[in-house]
Amino acid sequence: MMDTDALIQELANSAAPVRRLPAPWARMLLWLALSAPVLAAVIWLMMPSDINPVAAIADRRFLVEEAVLLVTALTAAFAAFASIVPGYDRRILLVPLLPLAIWLASLGEGCWRNWVALGANGLTLRPDWDCLPPAILIGMLPSIAMVMMLRRGAPLLPRVSIALGALAVAALANLGLRLFHVGDASVMVLFWHLGGAAVLAGLAALAGRRVMYWRHTTSGVGPMR
Amino acid sequence: MAESSERDQQFALLMRATQAGDREAYAQLLHTLIPLLRRAVRRQRALLKPQDAEDLVQDILLSLHQARRSYDPDRPFLPWLMAIVRNRVTDGARRYIIRSAHEVVVDQLPETFSDADPNTIDGPYGDPEALRLAVKALPDGQRRAIELLKLREMSLKEAAAHSGISIAALKVSVHRGMTALRRTLAGRHQ
Repeated sequence: MMDTDALIQELANSAAPVRRLPAPWARMLLWLALSAPVLAAVIWLMMPSDINPVAAIADRRFLVEEAVLLVTALTAAFAAFASIVPGYDRRILLVPLLPLAIWLASLGEGCWRNWVALGANGLTLRPDWDCLPPAILIGMLPSIAMVMMLRRGAPLLPRVSIALGALAVAALANLGLRLFHVGDASVMVLFWHLGGAAVLAGLAALAGRRVMYWRHTTSGVGPMR
Repeated sequence: MAESSERDQQFALLMRATQAGDREAYAQLLHTLIPLLRRAVRRQRALLKPQDAEDLVQDILLSLHQARRSYDPDRPFLPWLMAIVRNRVTDGARRYIIRSAHEVVVDQLPETFSDADPNTIDGPYGDPEALRLAVKALPDGQRRAIELLKLREMSLKEAAAHSGISIAALKVSVHRGMTALRRTLAGRHQ
């Protein structure tokens, strides 16, 4: 074991100036600013020409769903950035569950309506692989930005931080996808979109400790930054 | 209360200077934090061996170093620090549990080598004549120390009173004498 005084000296000698991390809300806005152009570009490319934006905006359920997705993305991103700041109130990590619950409730209600109107036919599931490439396209840059931004903080809860980051990306991708998949039945959205988001967050959580870790615990003392 | 808030402000100032690259402020901050960290580790892991506790303190220092850009000087310092301490202590306990799950506790240690020579706990004494000669060949001071402390099995205090040599000088002489004997007897065997 190294002498503690010697370690302090070594740490002090290697301490270059660092750029302080901005507050979680400011980093959330920065992440949104990085992600929004990609989202807008994919939506612009994929939006079918026969879609009627006025009718879509008049659809109250659709608007609620989009608003809830945006709030989920923002709160999850905020919670992810707060989770890498030591001493931040942990209760903030639960905030994204609220919009998530509203989204789930809205989809559940949609399924119920379809069931009442169309019977079992209203709840048929079919794979829709068309929406996978745009989903990946929308999600890629926000994912990379999120991981890079999270790795700059303290890996106190790596699994939770990465899962929240994945939830933010998934919610944002869903927000974009719903703009050109307007006609989807609620059950399709519930299964593929929400299910996809859950799988993504789960996989991200599993990989959390590999993506975010205290550097000295895996790679020894140096090199220190 | 006012005192702890003043102390917190002092830490926050040093940390702000650290973030700006002031190495002296950083060394001062870490030195000031050490007793606090040792206390925190002892409080949370009272049964830890001293060297393991010090390992944990060093782990906290390295973690603080990595996380130093996440500190906002407008927020209190100690909650920031203690969140890192709790994280490292919990992680340390987790690693300890994983490590001890792979350890087997035995009453009797197994033989270290299959060869008979190294396993001579109950073996016969070596050559007493060779030992006597080797002791005789030692310089006066060392020989006297060996005789008093090892052959007549006196305590350091008794030997000091008996011979009039100081305890420190006896310690040095007996240590040097033992090293010399070991060397002489090992040389004889080769």
